[in-house]
Amino acid sequence: MAILETENLTKAFGALTAVNGITLKIEAGSLHSIIGPNGAGKTTLFNLLTGQFPPSSGRIVFDGKDITGTPAHRIAHLGLARSFQRTNVFPAFSLLDNVWVAAFACNASWKGFLWSKTDYYPEVAERARQALADVGLSNQADQLAREISHGEQRQLELAIALAAAPRVLLLDEPAAGLSPEETRKMVALVRGLKGRYTIVLIEHKIDIIMSVSDRISVMHFGNLIAEGTPEEIQRNPDVRRAYLGGVAEAA
Amino acid sequence: MNKTNLAVLAAVVLLPFVVRPAIASEIWIFAIFGLGLNLLMGYTGLLSFGQSTFFGSAAYVAGWLLKHYGINVFVALGVGVGVGAVSAALVGYLCVQRSGIYFIMLTFALNQLFYFIAYQWTSVTGGEDGMPGITRPEFLGIDFKDPLAYYLFVSALFLFSLWIMKRIVESPLGKILQAIRENEVRAEAVGYNAPRFKLLAFVIGGAFSGLAGVLYAMLFGIVPLEAIGFVTSGNVVFATLIGGSGSLYGPIIGSFVFIWLSESVSTLWARWPLLLGLAFVIVVMFLRGGVVEAWTRFWLWQSSRQKI
Repeated sequence: MAILETENLTKAFGALTAVNGITLKIEAGSLHSIIGPNGAGKTTLFNLLTGQFPPSSGRIVFDGKDITGTPAHRIAHLGLARSFQRTNVFPAFSLLDNVWVAAFACNASWKGFLWSKTDYYPEVAERARQALADVGLSNQADQLAREISHGEQRQLELAIALAAAPRVLLLDEPAAGLSPEETRKMVALVRGLKGRYTIVLIEHKIDIIMSVSDRISVMHFGNLIAEGTPEEIQRNPDVRRAYLGGVAEAA
Repeated sequence: MNKTNLAVLAAVVLLPFVVRPAIASEIWIFAIFGLGLNLLMGYTGLLSFGQSTFFGSAAYVAGWLLKHYGINVFVALGVGVGVGAVSAALVGYLCVQRSGIYFIMLTFALNQLFYFIAYQWTSVTGGEDGMPGITRPEFLGIDFKDPLAYYLFVSALFLFSLWIMKRIVESPLGKILQAIRENEVRAEAVGYNAPRFKLLAFVIGGAFSGLAGVLYAMLFGIVPLEAIGFVTSGNVVFATLIGGSGSLYGPIIGSFVFIWLSESVSTLWARWPLLLGLAFVIVVMFLRGGVVEAWTRFWLWQSSRQKI
């Protein structure tokens, strides 16, 4: 069953159509990757899915409900959480506070949020600690986010998304700017999350994509040019021409 | 009870022995005003340059009721808090739609709007002459006309305000507001409606400003036109920055420095605002955390010296 669907989703910025009539079905429990060269419109697609801005036309359906045009702060409450391509954390907060804020946002009740002490919500603290543990940052819980390494900030980025206990995780290039060693760690992390969440993954590193994905959609200049299993995508002539082609010919 | 609370309590007890009770009262009143601004400026990252809108409106409305109807002193406080909160809700609703420089200019422009209403509406506000004749009605036989009795009243309300603000900044709301200050886009993405929370910060800050406004009107027995002017808005920003914005106790220290300078040094030297300007430049250039940061740095330096 598809948990997240788009129908003819389009976003135009003036004359530029960044996302052009994308129809996509994300199966519940799957890891669905979106690949494409720089400027293909992948991040714009994510921004549409998470309500950063409304689409020019088309529909987004999440869990059978039309969520087109729902603002970002409401999307998170529906169970759709994202990580950002550029690290986007709360720099002056401790790591624990970073995830705590995200965990609290999606807590069942905000009762007493004006008055109670923050430790009045044991379930929030538990979810926050679990999110840090999931990305392997438990030991640094009290450090400030601006003081940890870039690699660790990428892990924190992911932890903030996890802390919301989402049903669908949208990961925008989680391995952006990571060293080969850190990338291996991140891939292991994402693989560990597979099955626990429905994951939509944007990634540039083709070897990562091929090894972890259940399905792959290929975008090129705002259009969806192919979709299928990793094997089908590797064989697809359009994809080879548009995207892998350059690599294959060079090799 | 920790050291900081003890220090605040000691200051409340000792202050009337050091300065005149009227000045001591003014220090705590201004501190309440600063606490409200700091929730916006220090915690939410919203530089409101129009806090006197709420301070002045509350002072006028409650002052007018005190003057003409001699209402109960606690009713006056309630009216002040209410007027402060409602005016902040109106102003805040417009201001939170914008950010950065436009936000600041909006708070300032709306402050000017309220100022000119007060300036023109002479039959109520007295315009440039101010609104004199505000009484301090006695309560349960306590005569607040006695400066020391009024000081005790003000300082009790100050301690109460401080306690409330402490609870607020240590609550989830405090953390959410700081998250918005740190990274608004992410705060929205994790599920917070940032404009709504900013508005809430405005309303709370406005309530504190309103309380300060009424106490101010009763302290001086008059609401001068300056009470709603941009200089008052600027003063509270200066005082809070000098004390240390973003720290709960910063505005209290700032208020102390500011009022003490303006009341005592001004009698010796008419150009005392020069000192204030100098202090402001030093804070902006070297000590973004104000006196509070200077203090922490001093103690860190002390303790590191002792280790050697």
